[in-house]
Amino acid sequence: MPDLPKKKVGIVSCSGEELAEGTVTRLATRKVLDQLRSEATVPICLPLFMAGGQGDRAFAKFYPTIAVDGCELRCAARGTEKYSGKPAASIMVRDVIAENGFKQPEGRCHLNEAGVQAVDATADKIASIVDELLGKHWNRRAGAFDDIGLAVPIPDKGNKAKKVAPCSCGSGIPVQEVQINGQEVKLIALPLIFEDFRQEGKKPSAATAMELLEIVRVYNRIPQGEDEKYREVLFSEYAFFCDKEANQ
Amino acid sequence: MPGKKTFIKFVIVPCSGIGKTFGSVSREAAYIITEDLRQDDTQLVALAKLVMGEASAVETVSGNPTITIDGCKLACASKMVRESGGNIMQEFDVLDVYRRYKELRPDGIAELNENGVKLAQALAEEAAVTIDKLKVDTKVGQNA
Amino acid sequence: MSEFLEILVDKFMFKVATDRLYSAEGLWLKSEGNRVRIGVSDFFQQHNGDVAFAEIKAVGKEVTANSEVATIETMKVNVELPLPISGKVVEVNPVLSTAPEAINLDPYGTGWLAVIEANDWNAEKTHLLEPLSYFKKMKEDAEREINR
Repeated sequence: MPDLPKKKVGIVSCSGEELAEGTVTRLATRKVLDQLRSEATVPICLPLFMAGGQGDRAFAKFYPTIAVDGCELRCAARGTEKYSGKPAASIMVRDVIAENGFKQPEGRCHLNEAGVQAVDATADKIASIVDELLGKHWNRRAGAFDDIGLAVPIPDKGNKAKKVAPCSCGSGIPVQEVQINGQEVKLIALPLIFEDFRQEGKKPSAATAMELLEIVRVYNRIPQGEDEKYREVLFSEYAFFCDKEANQ
Repeated sequence: MPGKKTFIKFVIVPCSGIGKTFGSVSREAAYIITEDLRQDDTQLVALAKLVMGEASAVETVSGNPTITIDGCKLACASKMVRESGGNIMQEFDVLDVYRRYKELRPDGIAELNENGVKLAQALAEEAAVTIDKLKVDTKVGQNA
Repeated sequence: MSEFLEILVDKFMFKVATDRLYSAEGLWLKSEGNRVRIGVSDFFQQHNGDVAFAEIKAVGKEVTANSEVATIETMKVNVELPLPISGKVVEVNPVLSTAPEAINLDPYGTGWLAVIEANDWNAEKTHLLEPLSYFKKMKEDAEREINR
């Protein structure tokens, strides 16, 4: 898998307007973003997922996310999974309230004391999960954590181990545009994936194209029924990439 | 009147975007409308429920005239209401309203500053006027 | 080269159009014969936020190099944009008076700011950044900003 930039955690809040618990999720999330773990967290906008926010969807594919929901509908958790990837953790405010024995929060616009307590407790819980996630390696293919203590990429079997280091700080993820079915399609991390494959000595071939497709699928949505077309394009783009590298 | 539908209440759907102050203004304005200014004529539907296709939320927006309040031009609330089969009677864009009240520059997301609250109030009041005008035409308030 | 250079930094996707030149401040300049169309880059509009007002120097106004050609007022900041070349404003985007959000929605297309009749484009464009150079600078700026 490509080395990725400095790891952060995305927080998806339901911000449900109809219940006080929805306001609790919003304020708890902002407290984590603004105060408790400001450098390690990023807000992910749930409505933007649906409206096609590419950046938010892409982020949620690359990095672990915490869904924070007000009620059992779990819109944030289900929405994240539907439009991007399964969240690494899911918190429901009603559970936090029950665990702590708080009274029922009231006030959708301005929370009562019980609501403020719930905000603080939920924010603390989010923060502790953020800490836990940053100490783990999120396996995007598996949609689960690898059981190792450090945030390092797993070396490929039989190959020289990739450099074992924390994710590089500060470098963005390149995006490459390709033509598929006459349409321009943006594939996130494609240049990094190609570079990885090239460094592993994988030559352009049908088998390599199949492998490329599976890795590309981890970071990008491949429409149903279009595997073959994507494979063909990845084959030719990778061949072009290798050729260009060889001639440099 | 033959052929004229009657509805229960106007549905208010704010975007509540969590990344920008305008999202908080949209949320605050929605509460002012539904809890203070036009409590009897309006109901709030959570955008997250529409995003997930929650049945009762979809039924509510598709069966009642809707007013959306969006924090930016991505217009998530309006998009989702349309996707849910809703009939948008008026779309409010907080940025457009801000242009009419330039002195009320909002700030803060978790907590709006004073100008942000005033901007939300101004938007809510514009929405209330809209609701009053639309009520006459759509017979809101009568049983469906 | 493809139409855009793109990168994802955190959850923000930034694009740089490859058919024009750039100033370090994020203004793009696209030659159209003896005229130059100008606008702001995708990074500029994302970094500075939703545009509430855009004031461009009036048609007919002469602008000397590095003096202000436009003021963009967003929710976060008021930005005065210097024009890196000298010339006369011959056209101002009429859309911006009623819908300045075009700058955010389509910074490289319908969100253009003005057209300038350049005094000496061939000489002055040498001070501008090629797309790849601007892309690298933008990437550094974006990462620095987001990881602050």
